[in-house]
Amino acid sequence: MPIDKEHIRNFCIIAHIDHGKSTLADRLIEHTGTVARRKMQEQLLDDMELERQRGITIKARAVCLRYIYNNEVYEINLIDTPGHVDFHYEVSRSLACCEGALLLVDASQGVEAQTVANAIAAMNANLTIVPAVNKVDLVNARFDEVVVEMEQTLGIDPSEVLKCSGKSGIGVDDILSAVIERVPPPQGDPNATLQAMVFDSHYDAYRGVVTYVRVMNGVIKKGQKVKFLKGGNVHEVLELGQFVPAQRPCEELTTGEVGYIICNIKSIKQVHIGDTISIAGDQSAKALPGYQAPKRMVYCGLYPSDGQDFSELRDALEKLSINDPSFEFEPETSDALGFGFRCGFLGMLHMEIVQQRLEQESDVDLVQTAPNVTYEIKYKRTGEVVQIHKPQDVPDSGDIEEFRQPIVRVNLIQPSEYIGTVMKLCQDRRGVLVRQEYISPTRSMIVYDLPLAEVIYDLHDKLKSATRGYGTMDYELLGYVAADLARMDILVNGNRVDALAVICNRADADRRGRAVCKKLKAEIERHMFEVAVQAAIGTRVIARETVPALRKNVTAKCYGGDISRKRKLWAKQKEGKKRMKAIGQVEIPQKAFMAVLDTGDDK
Amino acid sequence: MPPRAAYIHVPFCRHRCGYCNFTVIAGRDDLQAAYITALESELAASIVVPHEVDTLFIGGGTPTHLTAQNLQRLCALLHAWFPTAENYEWSVEANPRDITSKVAHLLQAQGVTRVSLGAQSFASGKLVMLERDHDAGIIRDAVGALRDSGLVVALDLIFGAPGESLSHWQDDLRQALALAPEHLSTYGLTFEKGTTFWGRLDKGELQTLPEELEREMYLAAIDMLTAAGYEHYEVSNFALVGQRCRHNENYWLGGEYFAAGPGAARYVAGRREMNHRSTTTWLARVTAGESPTAEFEELSPEDRARERLVFRLRRLEGLEIDAFACETGYRVEQLGGDALAQFIEQGLLAREDGRLRLTRRGLLVSDAMWPYFLRT
Ligand SMILES: Nc1nc2c(ncn2[C@@H]2O[C@H](COP(=O)(O)OP(=O)(O)O)[C@@H](O)[C@H]2O)c(=O)[nH]1
Ligand code: SF4
Repeated sequence: MPIDKEHIRNFCIIAHIDHGKSTLADRLIEHTGTVARRKMQEQLLDDMELERQRGITIKARAVCLRYIYNNEVYEINLIDTPGHVDFHYEVSRSLACCEGALLLVDASQGVEAQTVANAIAAMNANLTIVPAVNKVDLVNARFDEVVVEMEQTLGIDPSEVLKCSGKSGIGVDDILSAVIERVPPPQGDPNATLQAMVFDSHYDAYRGVVTYVRVMNGVIKKGQKVKFLKGGNVHEVLELGQFVPAQRPCEELTTGEVGYIICNIKSIKQVHIGDTISIAGDQSAKALPGYQAPKRMVYCGLYPSDGQDFSELRDALEKLSINDPSFEFEPETSDALGFGFRCGFLGMLHMEIVQQRLEQESDVDLVQTAPNVTYEIKYKRTGEVVQIHKPQDVPDSGDIEEFRQPIVRVNLIQPSEYIGTVMKLCQDRRGVLVRQEYISPTRSMIVYDLPLAEVIYDLHDKLKSATRGYGTMDYELLGYVAADLARMDILVNGNRVDALAVICNRADADRRGRAVCKKLKAEIERHMFEVAVQAAIGTRVIARETVPALRKNVTAKCYGGDISRKRKLWAKQKEGKKRMKAIGQVEIPQKAFMAVLDTGDDK
Repeated sequence: MPPRAAYIHVPFCRHRCGYCNFTVIAGRDDLQAAYITALESELAASIVVPHEVDTLFIGGGTPTHLTAQNLQRLCALLHAWFPTAENYEWSVEANPRDITSKVAHLLQAQGVTRVSLGAQSFASGKLVMLERDHDAGIIRDAVGALRDSGLVVALDLIFGAPGESLSHWQDDLRQALALAPEHLSTYGLTFEKGTTFWGRLDKGELQTLPEELEREMYLAAIDMLTAAGYEHYEVSNFALVGQRCRHNENYWLGGEYFAAGPGAARYVAGRREMNHRSTTTWLARVTAGESPTAEFEELSPEDRARERLVFRLRRLEGLEIDAFACETGYRVEQLGGDALAQFIEQGLLAREDGRLRLTRRGLLVSDAMWPYFLRT
């Protein structure tokens, strides 16, 4: 039985991590009888194993809830959004599928950085905000204060704020009725040409790509031929349906509805998040606004530690990219590391996830180079602007008209007593203060513009330790800005090691150079000869450390039984050396390639 | 050809010294008789028929901690299973305190030719630190007794004990030279897992000496002993002309040898075997008629060649390149590859007159080279 638009509501839950989004979603599903309680896994929506391990939601999902309100049946689609900043774009596409957002704030933690970032994103997408304070069952709940914080930071009307608890079930009916009352039904015309937005996808080993859609106009039917506007590829819809939360096939999805389609698509690369689906032929609807190609902001080199494993690594990367279109890789060669791949990620978390999967799913032993962000260089002679994904590609400084780096706007929220410390952290990283506001008598928010490179490596960790864990942050990309940047080379006994080069601000170069040399000195074992580790910008050496030569290493006793024992021991040491990388005659352990991240504590 | 060398391990000691990780059992002299009986069984089962040998070595532990009667039984066993060829060498390790003229005489009468004394030091403080139960006077008396019986004397010394200075060590060397032993071994103290020294090091109660000082001590030993006419013929071993320990040379040359007793390692018919290291387990197994072997390995011809390359290079005269190739089927260049060329270029190995040998600089850091020769 097709449902009319007036009885459809599409909404998402937005919250800072750990404010109880997953728990509340489970409660909503259970409360609407979508699944029986005993069949429910904990945190139903986070069903990827890795997500479970890391306790975060990576992929957006959608669940269709049936709810009877004032004797009428409503179809409420709950669209899950990723919480982490690496997946900003995916969040924006999920938001574009909704008319409303339930804004959850933890009753004891109060407003935090992702609360603000997500709420602002939802407001900018013109969603109706349904504000709620969650976890009101907590003894240290401070409802009234949190409401003030919401009003101060986001201009929320205090009279609209609901009270709920995903744990105890308090307020669940209020939430559902508020969603129905306050969130407008979807717009759009069921009789118009089909226009549906792709907001997510996943790869199913048996059925190919499962594409998640929200129908904006028209109807999409089983058996219909549809066109993916971005690539122009046409496919037959073999199956479509909704998530309840398991896939439940149906005959059609109409304007305003959310569901999935399966079209025998073999590669996830053919399905672009943010793309528009319409009818085949030249009468297609217009593409929906807002599509963006995935932006890889962080790159690193991945090399097999044993050169023999190159093709194995390539296969593993290919397999991973089947499931993750936002991850990119291409072959590269390094003098130091041999043949490997330069890989691009949405951010640091994304990089960690991909690496973790690689480790789980293949047994290639990896050497990773230090990650770097994407830079832009404008050439002097041609005026051409190119993107730089690795330090080795930086041309001679004489050829550079402008060297630009990505700048992000960072929101930091912390108890006011830590404001001085946090400001120092940002100042040390060349941050520019944008504004500062008090969100309650005890907590405040500061906003800084900072180079992305300074943010991703360790700002989060430093913030946590500077604020006893109370500080939170979130950021969004502002754009590329020219800066006084340079490539810092590392030389080992006079040989430039390409895989150890980094891009840094000239003013920081001395400190970084010293820190990196020191770190490398600690990582490199002593050799038969002295090993000099130098940092240089162009031809100017800015730091130097020396690994002294080995002076005495000789086993005294070697009789009958010692012979086997010693032989085995030495042979094993050789195995260890095999995994090192030789630069000239110097052996560099794999870990050292991450040493260049050391920014130095002597700020 | 069956081995022409045999080793017997005697695990008994009065007390376990803090640095010792050998196969040792302290305070269980009640097991001595059972040990000799088990040794009889092990030899009967593994040797089958008597074999003539050129060298015998009774090591430990402390062989001289056996009672005179047990020592005699042990020697009789060896006579039965390992009749000696002409010009044989028979060494026994001994604790200085155990060597009375009676014991020296007994050993000589049994046919022992050489006694290796665990002197370690002449300085009383260092001996106490090392938990040894003798002093300089006892060492001198023991050497006197051995000389009176016409036995060859070898002295073992340890350097690098916590707190030791270079001049203390030089003093030890001078006192050792004054006794004019035919053979001297100098061992840098190492801290091994499972010893009480290891635990004390971990807790910070003991400190290792700086690497530079250990290096100077080692060099001092080389310089003083060679100046006194001793040939430095292996990393830790020095001998007067014609007085090298032939039994040990056989190990380093890659020769085979029989062995019996707890923890003993043998190399027979291309197979290396090691007995169980626990004296009681060894006893139980042998007594029950089971094999006491705990580990074994058989090396491929290439691995055997690699092993020989390394252990021959630890002998200061090194190896004859062509003869090595004839004997093992592998040329040193083949086994050593780029590393070999590099080490020669760096002056760590010298290749001259058809020989390959460690230089003095190479000797000092030789352990860092061996890994490259044992695997490609
Ligand atoms: N006391 C209380 N704890 C809750 C409530 N909802 C969630 N939690 C706890 O808060 C933590 C984070 O919840 P989760 O739903 O995973 O948060 P998410 O990261 O926003 O999805 C978990 O330990 C939950 O058990 C609630 O209503 N009351
Ligand atoms: S006397 Fe020798 S074998 Fe016995 S415990 Fe001491 S060091 Fe070890």
